[in-house]
Amino acid sequence: MAPASPGGGWDQTARALAEVLLGEGLARVVEVENVSGAAGTIGLARFASSYRGEGDALLVTGLVMLSAIVMNESPVSLAEVTPIARLTGEYEVLVVPAASPFRSLADLTTALRRDPGAVSFAGGSAGGTDQLLLGLLAREVVVDPASTNYIAFSGGGDSLAALLGNQVAAGISGLSEYAPHIESGSLRALAISSSDPLPGVGILTFREQGIELALANWRGLVAPPGLRGPARDSLVNAIDRLVRTRKWQEVLERTGWVDLYLPGDRFGQFLRSEQRRIASVVRDLGSATATGENEIAEMVFPGIVGVGLLVSGGLLLARRGSESRAPGNPRALGFVFMGAVANVVLLEPTGFIVASSVLFVCTARGFGSRRWARDAFLGLALSAGAYFLFTRALSLSLPAGRLLP
Amino acid sequence: MSTWESLVMGFSVAAAPSNLLWAFAGVSLGTAVGVLPGIGPALTVALLLPVTLTLAPTSAFIMFAGIYYGAMYGGSTTSILLNTPGESASIATALEGNLMARRGRGAAALSTAALGSFVAGTLATVALTLSAPALVRVALHFGPAEYFALAVLAFTSVSAVLGRSLSKGLFSLFIGLGLGLVGIDPLTGKARFALGVSQLLDGIDVVILVMGLFAVGETFYLAWCSTPGEEEVVRPKDGGGFMGLSREDWSRSWPAWLRGTAIGFPLGVLPAGGAEIPTFLSYMMEKRLARKPEEFGHGAIEGVAGPEAANNAAAAGVLVPLLTLGLPTSATAAVLLAAFQQYGLRPGPLLFESQPELVWSLIASLYVGNVMLLVLNLPLVGIWVRVLLMPKPLLYGGILVLASLGAYSLNGSIVDVMLLYVIGALGALLRRFDFPVAPAVLGLILGPLAEQQARRALAISQGDWTVFVTRPIAAAVLAAALLALLLPRWFRRRV
Repeated sequence: MAPASPGGGWDQTARALAEVLLGEGLARVVEVENVSGAAGTIGLARFASSYRGEGDALLVTGLVMLSAIVMNESPVSLAEVTPIARLTGEYEVLVVPAASPFRSLADLTTALRRDPGAVSFAGGSAGGTDQLLLGLLAREVVVDPASTNYIAFSGGGDSLAALLGNQVAAGISGLSEYAPHIESGSLRALAISSSDPLPGVGILTFREQGIELALANWRGLVAPPGLRGPARDSLVNAIDRLVRTRKWQEVLERTGWVDLYLPGDRFGQFLRSEQRRIASVVRDLGSATATGENEIAEMVFPGIVGVGLLVSGGLLLARRGSESRAPGNPRALGFVFMGAVANVVLLEPTGFIVASSVLFVCTARGFGSRRWARDAFLGLALSAGAYFLFTRALSLSLPAGRLLP
Repeated sequence: MSTWESLVMGFSVAAAPSNLLWAFAGVSLGTAVGVLPGIGPALTVALLLPVTLTLAPTSAFIMFAGIYYGAMYGGSTTSILLNTPGESASIATALEGNLMARRGRGAAALSTAALGSFVAGTLATVALTLSAPALVRVALHFGPAEYFALAVLAFTSVSAVLGRSLSKGLFSLFIGLGLGLVGIDPLTGKARFALGVSQLLDGIDVVILVMGLFAVGETFYLAWCSTPGEEEVVRPKDGGGFMGLSREDWSRSWPAWLRGTAIGFPLGVLPAGGAEIPTFLSYMMEKRLARKPEEFGHGAIEGVAGPEAANNAAAAGVLVPLLTLGLPTSATAAVLLAAFQQYGLRPGPLLFESQPELVWSLIASLYVGNVMLLVLNLPLVGIWVRVLLMPKPLLYGGILVLASLGAYSLNGSIVDVMLLYVIGALGALLRRFDFPVAPAVLGLILGPLAEQQARRALAISQGDWTVFVTRPIAAAVLAAALLALLLPRWFRRRV
């Protein structure tokens, strides 16, 4: 299961794994299920509840999920699932625009100590890897993480635009996101978050510059909760074999992912210490707000919207009652509603095909059709056609239903 | 190598028979997913990524470009015929286009949309070819303050979709703004109005809102308020004229195509642009400039030609920051970027130099794809309009099935399907009581944009509100917004 929508990093990891597992004959059937939302915590909750104790399910996870668990107050944490392996990762870079007065990391940290609010940092979503790095950096240079001015952008692209346009003082993101601009000279890299210098990358690490800071945006695999003994060991072993295959090495080379392989128990230890570190820095970032201005603004806009709703609603009430209209056809609407409710209720138990056929028949009835058999046949044909197109041609998972084997 | 020589080289690659075949596969697939509600080009390309790994990068990107443009075409078809836009960018097209279809002018609406897309797509691709790097330098001057100003300007286009009653239009707008607040506040990471439902943490997807208010809302409303049996079959009128467009249609369409392109392309180039703002701005502009403004609200052809051109021009514009800076500014662009990375390619300032063959054949394939789409779509217009002749029970049954499929496949979550029906019920109520639904969608799209950019701007300036007037571009855009609101009134008073 990839706890993100198709195209993202977790999904790419899952699909690359599936490709290698199948290609090397380590598994006969591999299916990628996407359950996206809330930085993976929705996928985690679904995974923990529906696959408990099963030895043939794996969830892709990563650093961002750790902080999302704290921030979203997720009911399920990574302590409950069974660690299998840490696989890959990427390091973070701290950059400034080429025109920036900051020539070195020391310049930047000096300015940060003097007035934390004056140094604006662009990065990805609030509570993501980029902000975690800033929080950890602030702690190392004895600045209150909650006082840093972090401007969250919706994706790497937006923050990159803000940097290239000199809108912000500095930026934090994964190396691959900024690399082309570091090479071309439009951005200046001040530090990279690996613990040791990376071969072929001419950027000083934080540690080389006297700051004890290392952070990898790692990705790994976990198995469902309650998996012990041989079932767990066989998964750990399968992944151990996988990372040694040439195919997997090719995937790493092609994607530029750094190999951060840590098997079973050692991944478990790492996960526990990482969890403590992330939870504490998320707390230190406090409400994860950037500046005092933001703290106020958070409810300003909802306030405006609330007042607007009240005023326009009031205007409407004041003018009510002058219009008359046809009575409508509640029976027909009832049929369509019934179809919608049945669709929602049946979708997971009976699967997409049945639920959609019922929806189709009910809607047709609502629009006055009396030809049940024809409607049922057409509904079935449409649903089945859509089902196979999606699951086979596009390999997108739709509920198959629990009634059929 | 000059631009011209590079482009010729690009064409020689793109016109190779195998690549033409991939382009054709792409535009066909793109048109198909564009027709399906909720399944956009981003999802399609993402799902095809693993499959295409065995292809040469050039062929894969030629196909992806076809999907991207094809989806824009396909999206307009369902919006016009069935009032079921599958994504936010084709709502403006649905507004007048569907009214035209109801008057039996569906074929003319489809033709002007197809031709407008072609003209805009081609002109925008020319602009992309000639001026990509220069445009990007200008676009980078846009920071949060400028984007906030742009959102304010876009809000003025609400005035064009208000409908007959100001208070009803505003109520609808505020419903959309309110729905836009649901979810994690992106600047602080804190949840707002999510009611403890974790599936709501990411907010209400605009696709769900669009499908709910339009496709599902329309279905519920028709079941409720039209009498069964009394089928008002809209016989497509034969428009006559060249390509289904009469002489008057032509003379009203082409200026709208050009204006739409002029609005769409630059706004598409802006990082954080997207296609919604230009389509609605184009709609507002056409309504203001129309020779027969009274036709707006009853199916005015300019209202289809302009936004549809703006949509496609913006789609080409989005490729400018993607290719020159590696900046993805839309969901599809983000997936395309992932595709580049899968091949170990890094779009950015060096891509034009390191991979000229790929870049220029991609650009050439955009031209090829545009022509292909036109050739593919114009003859289909006659077939598409027959969709309207389908018995209503089957048509609307099918629409609901496809809408629920689209909603489910967004996140693989049943909560989205429930939300779809709840918003559908809301849409039916709004229709029943003569509330316009377009302002709600604008509110959902623009509200979060305006809020986030304003707060980002204030965070960068450390709380100094004057950034919105001291930065020249922001101030100019805000002034334009003020003019857009005041000028029509002033003119009216003078006339």
